[in-house]
Amino acid sequence: MKNITLGKYLPYDSIVHRMDPRAKIMVLLIVLISIFFDAGFIGYALIGAFCLLVLLFSKIQFSYVLKSLKPMLFMMVFLLVINVLVMRTGEVWITIGSFPIYQSAVFQTLYIVIRLLLIVSLTTALTATTKPLDLTLGIEHLLSPFKRFGFPAHEVAMMISIALRFIPTLLEETERIMKAQASRGVDFKEGTLKEKISAIISLIVPLFISAFSRAEELANAMEARCYNPEAPRTRYKQLKWAQRDTLAIVTSLVLAVGILGLSLIGVA
Amino acid sequence: MPIRFEKVEHLYSDGSPVSFQALKGIDLDIEDGSMTAIIGHTGSGKSTLIQHINALLLPSSGKVTVQDYVISPTERPAKLKPLRQIAGLVFQFPEYQLFEETIEKDIIFGPMNFGVPEEKAKAAAKEALKAVGLDESYLERSPFDLSGGQKRRVAIAGILVMQPEILVLDEPTAGLDPQGATEMMELFQSLNRQGITVLVVTHDMNQVLHYCDHAVVMSEGKIVKKGTVAEIFAEPAYLNELSIQLPTMTQFIYELNQKGFQIDMSINQLDDLIAAIEAQMTSR
Repeated sequence: MKNITLGKYLPYDSIVHRMDPRAKIMVLLIVLISIFFDAGFIGYALIGAFCLLVLLFSKIQFSYVLKSLKPMLFMMVFLLVINVLVMRTGEVWITIGSFPIYQSAVFQTLYIVIRLLLIVSLTTALTATTKPLDLTLGIEHLLSPFKRFGFPAHEVAMMISIALRFIPTLLEETERIMKAQASRGVDFKEGTLKEKISAIISLIVPLFISAFSRAEELANAMEARCYNPEAPRTRYKQLKWAQRDTLAIVTSLVLAVGILGLSLIGVA
Repeated sequence: MPIRFEKVEHLYSDGSPVSFQALKGIDLDIEDGSMTAIIGHTGSGKSTLIQHINALLLPSSGKVTVQDYVISPTERPAKLKPLRQIAGLVFQFPEYQLFEETIEKDIIFGPMNFGVPEEKAKAAAKEALKAVGLDESYLERSPFDLSGGQKRRVAIAGILVMQPEILVLDEPTAGLDPQGATEMMELFQSLNRQGITVLVVTHDMNQVLHYCDHAVVMSEGKIVKKGTVAEIFAEPAYLNELSIQLPTMTQFIYELNQKGFQIDMSINQLDDLIAAIEAQMTSR
């Protein structure tokens, strides 16, 4: 359980760590959107280079990102199989036996894999360099203009920060319950399907019970402290916008515009 | 020797920036049929240590021998599954591991996983429930209708039903009322007298004095002291350094002795203590 790397904060000291969370979120958004412009492999190469640069600056090892992709491997293989079976148009790439595999199927899967890789490495770069609290603070700031239209920015930020706060707790809880059930002879790795289902139930039920009771306790504790989401509040932590933040946004905007241009040329 | 630790080290999250060495060169022998207390502050490695006994954790280096099973860094965990039945491990707040609709189903969950036939498991469940002080009428009830203390008894019954030869308990009395805690400890003591080797992690020195025969003191991943309970409590100054308090009774004897009494520090029964004081008073 502790091997899950997705979304974990890594306490290094790097220029990306020191950046304003608002800037990081905006850069992420801009680049994420540009990933979905269809600019062919050149576009992905550019975004890939940008990702590598970000990882380099944030001192995160590439192997760390790959590790967080591992759970998705199964999904990708599954996707490839489905694509190969379903997409039956265009040029034939290779023929295995009497079964033709079409080029578009392989390319389509490759596109999705690359997109996923880029998305995961960028979001990992964000969550690994930003403390969850800073992240929600940034989200709240970015959402606050929408308050005017009745958007509950603070409530959303609060919900996100509570959710983030409880991820490690629930992981710990999961590990604890798994160990407790393993002590009663449950084998989470091997066994028949029936045994596996029973193993999962023995984990899920206690986990839900404890999650619900934690939620209730937290709600009570918040109410006991007279928590009111509408009350104006001050913050101990103030966000500071620096030049590097502007620079990062400009860079990502240039990248996005470049990709957009490429995709438009490609279309034309 | 049912349990032997040899130069056991344990590293959490090896190779990552948050890596943490929880055990440093542990050498320890636990004798058959003993009741051993494991003492130490939070984070001293107690929980990590006990999870090696039923191979939930494998050592990073060194080896643990439990009866005929050798737990080493390279051992395949699947081979060690039978060990989980021999060494029953009760986690802290075990009531959170209950999940079945009825108490009976929950208790037989363990034995069924080890391939015990259902009828036999049900018979054993009755015995185990009785052992923890609940009667048969509970068998068909839902574990979630019980009070916290009762839930814990059911959870402990869920381990006892596997008839382990070694029973490992991580703070079994945490959060129980004093009477519940006493009953719980008396249960473990009686199991110990039936020949089960008991290891208990506890912060309550009075429990150590009254129920255990051996004690292991841990600090920062190392064993800093081990011996009989009397030996451990014979050096109050050293324990004080580790900010471990003496049991009430030992503290009382210690203070009496400072004032000129000469009473055996290893006394752990109130009657014996009264007798000893009486003897000294009349001899003056």
